[in-house]
Amino acid sequence: MGFVDYVQAIIDGLLFGTTYSLIGIGFTLVFGVMHKINMSYAAASLAGAYCGLIGPQMLGLPPWSVFPLSIVAAGVIGYVIYLTCFRFIPLASPLATLMSTVGMLLLVDEIVVHATAGMPQNYPAIYDGDPIELGPFILRADLVGVFLICVVAMAVLLALLYRTRLGMATRAVAQQPVAAQLCGMRLQAVNGLTFVVAGLLGGVAGAMIGASVGMLSPLIAGTITVKGLIVTVIGGLGSIPGAIVAGLLVGAAENLFQAVRNVTERDIYVMLLLFAFLVLRPGGLFAAARGRD
Amino acid sequence: MLEVSDIVTAYGKIEALKGVSLSVDAGRITCLLGPNGAGKTTLMYTIAGILRPRRGSVRLQGAELVGQTADRVVSSGIALVPENRLVFPQMSVAENLAAGAYLRRDRSTIAADTERMFARFPVLKERRAQAAGTLSGGEQQMLAVARALMSRPKLLMMDEPSIGLAPLVVAEIFRIVEELNRDGITIFMVEQNAHLALKVAHRFFLMEQGRVTFAGAPGDVAQDDVIRRAYLGSAKVP
Repeated sequence: MGFVDYVQAIIDGLLFGTTYSLIGIGFTLVFGVMHKINMSYAAASLAGAYCGLIGPQMLGLPPWSVFPLSIVAAGVIGYVIYLTCFRFIPLASPLATLMSTVGMLLLVDEIVVHATAGMPQNYPAIYDGDPIELGPFILRADLVGVFLICVVAMAVLLALLYRTRLGMATRAVAQQPVAAQLCGMRLQAVNGLTFVVAGLLGGVAGAMIGASVGMLSPLIAGTITVKGLIVTVIGGLGSIPGAIVAGLLVGAAENLFQAVRNVTERDIYVMLLLFAFLVLRPGGLFAAARGRD
Repeated sequence: MLEVSDIVTAYGKIEALKGVSLSVDAGRITCLLGPNGAGKTTLMYTIAGILRPRRGSVRLQGAELVGQTADRVVSSGIALVPENRLVFPQMSVAENLAAGAYLRRDRSTIAADTERMFARFPVLKERRAQAAGTLSGGEQQMLAVARALMSRPKLLMMDEPSIGLAPLVVAEIFRIVEELNRDGITIFMVEQNAHLALKVAHRFFLMEQGRVTFAGAPGDVAQDDVIRRAYLGSAKVP
């Protein structure tokens, strides 16, 4: 293993890290408006990706249909999770939604295991062209596709948040819910739509994870949940730019750890990275004095 | 214009409002005085549709507001400048104003109103691209008033607009209140600073321990007693 291999590992990690960024953004978005963690988010995102497989496997649709179907399904699941785990749960109790969403995480996992009989399901690649050679480095064409799609998803989200009425309402509710209502914004409608938007984003992430791994298995949900939470903590709860950068950072770091050590030791170092952040920068990458009234 | 009758609002078992009735006349400035904990802010949030009363009615020009959601109250023509201003701290000044016009759809009249706000509050124009959380307390109060006006209210409610502000800034806020009133906006204001409130008010109500205990116009009673009770509450409440 030489320098070129390490840089190669970092490049591959950065490309795949965009899926972690999306998952981190989803956690952060919901935390922004509800001030609660939705523990079932990553599992639900992967469940959306599983639902996408119904198209080609059972309805005879073309293989590419798996991607839009995954995204739509994850959006619907996001709204169902809002209704079941948040809408009618007493939000004043900090543990109530933690319990309801952990319960949902287990339920989603069980449904997936039951529906697939626990067998890994093949997932189509986004693109199978020749690798792109950049000097001594090789970019996997499908990973470049994953990267581009994730970047587009982030751009669409940012445009939605900063250029539309719904986006303004989402930010207003996140920053000052009482004032948002006094401006005529409907709290529950905004909260529900935020879950749908986060769900759609999770659907993109779930589909892209399936596409780059080449399959989905029930074992992935736990890992992605933990990675997503690590990204959220490193990026700072509630910070979208933080989640983007942290996703890339975790993606690159884990691939580098894997190259330097090996795959079985990889996640040990990712956890150490988390602890380092918790001790040294508990507020996340971009923590700064925030103006709050 | 606004008729509040027999409103009871409770937090759990504790009744913060124990049957409040009062009225606000169109085109006037009405002040609600009273000591801390009298229920003034609870009344404001109840009228605005943020809190739901146990019973009673709130009518704006005859239309019942109890049971309506906060967004319906806004579209019926009531805007509340909340206690402690509650600006959106990470949004720019201009975005805060746009949020105030959330229920309006016509871009050209919104743009015209934004310019009018900048003319009325020049400091907001200077700071239009700045995050609202970085403004001073007085500037945030101006922004909160301007944001409320962006919904084009018939009735502007203000909850303690002078709290925590320097005397010069307070004088400026009260000048603006009178100016808005001259432009035809009905004002219903909660104020702890009874001296100042009685200077601008056409009518006032005194609230103590969840009830309205006095109603009058400045000048028609010995004001000293009202002012003392506004700050301290009276020893005996029926």
